[in-house]
Amino acid sequence: MLPILAWRNIWRNPTRSLVVILAISMGIWAALFMSGFATGMIRDYIDSNISNVVGHIQIHHPDYAREKDVRLQVDPLPGLEAFLASQAPVRAYSARTLATGMVSTANGSRGILIQGVRPDQEAVVSNLRQNIREGTYFEEGRKNQILLGQPLAEKLHVKLRSKVVLTFQDLEGNITNGAFRIVGLFNSGNTPFDESRVLVQASDLGGLLHPADQTGTPDPVHEIVLLCRDPDSLVAVQKSLQTAFPRLLIENYRELAPELELYESQMKSVSLIYLTIIMLALIFGIINTMMMAVLERFRELGMLMAIGMNKGRIFSMIVMETVLLSLAGAPLGLLLGGLTIHYFNVNGLDLSAFAKSLNQYGMGTDIRFDADPGVYWQTAMMLVVTAFLASLYPAWKAIRLKPVEAIRKL
Amino acid sequence: MTYAPFKDWENDGRKGAPRGGLTSNLKNQIIMAVIKLDKVSKIYDAGKIPVQALDQVNLEIERGEFTAIVGPSGSGKTTLLNIIGGLDRPSSGDIEVGGVDVDQLSDNKLIDFRKDHIGFVFQSYNLIPVLTALENVEFVMLLQKRSRKERLERARELLQAVGLEDKMDKRPSELSGGQQQRVAVARALAPKPSFILADEPTANLDSTSAGNLLDIMAKLNAQEGITFVFSTHDPRVIERARRVVTLVDGAIASDVRKSEPVQ
Repeated sequence: MLPILAWRNIWRNPTRSLVVILAISMGIWAALFMSGFATGMIRDYIDSNISNVVGHIQIHHPDYAREKDVRLQVDPLPGLEAFLASQAPVRAYSARTLATGMVSTANGSRGILIQGVRPDQEAVVSNLRQNIREGTYFEEGRKNQILLGQPLAEKLHVKLRSKVVLTFQDLEGNITNGAFRIVGLFNSGNTPFDESRVLVQASDLGGLLHPADQTGTPDPVHEIVLLCRDPDSLVAVQKSLQTAFPRLLIENYRELAPELELYESQMKSVSLIYLTIIMLALIFGIINTMMMAVLERFRELGMLMAIGMNKGRIFSMIVMETVLLSLAGAPLGLLLGGLTIHYFNVNGLDLSAFAKSLNQYGMGTDIRFDADPGVYWQTAMMLVVTAFLASLYPAWKAIRLKPVEAIRKL
Repeated sequence: MTYAPFKDWENDGRKGAPRGGLTSNLKNQIIMAVIKLDKVSKIYDAGKIPVQALDQVNLEIERGEFTAIVGPSGSGKTTLLNIIGGLDRPSSGDIEVGGVDVDQLSDNKLIDFRKDHIGFVFQSYNLIPVLTALENVEFVMLLQKRSRKERLERARELLQAVGLEDKMDKRPSELSGGQQQRVAVARALAPKPSFILADEPTANLDSTSAGNLLDIMAKLNAQEGITFVFSTHDPRVIERARRVVTLVDGAIASDVRKSEPVQ
């Protein structure tokens, strides 16, 4: 009967209780909204980095990261490619030829990373093809095509079909250059990435890297990027690769870009942070309501004590009332929050008005809300804890009363 | 109106009963209840001037008595009932209920003592507004950890006894003052208390309701031997009481036992 009594007590003052229930619902909705937004944004950042920049795993010569020397190639390449092709957890891989150099136009020049790719492989591993905003992806049979990021093109004052010159060192250390025509301009939504590299076909770049008398030898490969079918299998794939090719440096994206790991860990705690802030605000509202409920029932509580309801039961009743009152707001808040997250997960939240600044930080403008299913449980549990904490003071006040003072006279 | 006799609630295997450290021997003594006040004084000194509410009161009430405590306002009636009921503690003197020195019980044990041994009827009914009449009567038995079947059976029996068999599912707000006070009497009887303390139970009732209530209480007293102690101004109550204790300035001015039985 105690839960029934507690539940009915909540509805003695329906308006007051409904206000609190609505406040709790809105609080939960806001917490889930913020959590879904932040999780979506972080996941977008991580996914965009994985699909545009680092992939799941990268393979390099152990000294390449430090030296950036074009002679430090992935070796043995044929054996490695055969191994990757045989690994079921590996969804796709792309072999890249890299050179650091300079891109020059009639208007100026900039230091860049030249990324030579095998177009078919790269199209699967990265979002490059989808990110083409003007022009086309690499077309078969045409030589010396180049793709530039839109932000870089703007800085170099070039446009589609403009000609640019790439200058870099070949495998023997001689300065070499080649003229390329812009066939496509891409925009990945990550301005630093778009400004810092150009993409050409590996065959073109390989041809330029080899001295004139060595043409016909295989294109050098400095980096292999691979995607796993299931990100959870990443560590296992990394281990088996490392065992098979102990002389190569095999790193996952968390090792390559530690900030992504930081963001991943933040994703788990971000909802907790938002929830904590909102619950802190709610706790005072709940305390206030329950204090009013207790104070206006002082006489009745005194009567309950007089007829034999002990302090433990009075305390439990007030705690139960507070928890039930708070939980009454949970279903609506969780439902609204879940629907909002689902809506923006399907339709996305368009932040293109802030594209320039967001892209500067590698953030996308179409935020797809996301939430781990555990967030809903976490929210409900946090609410129970909040309600319990909020009930302690009113319950303590209730048991402190002396029945004779509460009912004044018998 | 008929009243079914109480069933034997002793040794009925209640979960955890008796509470508050009362032994079964002690319970037996309480069933032979005698309220005994020995030189009980109560001084309130919350203000600048201490107020002597009770002054060396000696009083014994035996089982089955139908006693009215009367006196002008401020004479100490309420204080006396509060002290007998364990709601307040005396400044000096001893109070025993069935041989138990209630002043020596801790707050929690005192609550348990009240639950099992004292029935209260308040002037302003003090029912739980969100519970029905049946649930109000059931409530104190719930505190005693009685089974649901037992609670329902007894609550229905008691409401029938006070003539409210057709109002069991009504909440207090749907009942008249007289009906509410009858629910309060049923609630007070529910735990099978040793005695019932009633603070001006007819003060807020019209004469018909007051008469009905007094009939019910007198019948319970006569047929079941329930001990009633009232504080009252109401001449109708005084008239029906078999013993009238008059308080003046916190002291007993007279204590009259009537020879004729309660009607």
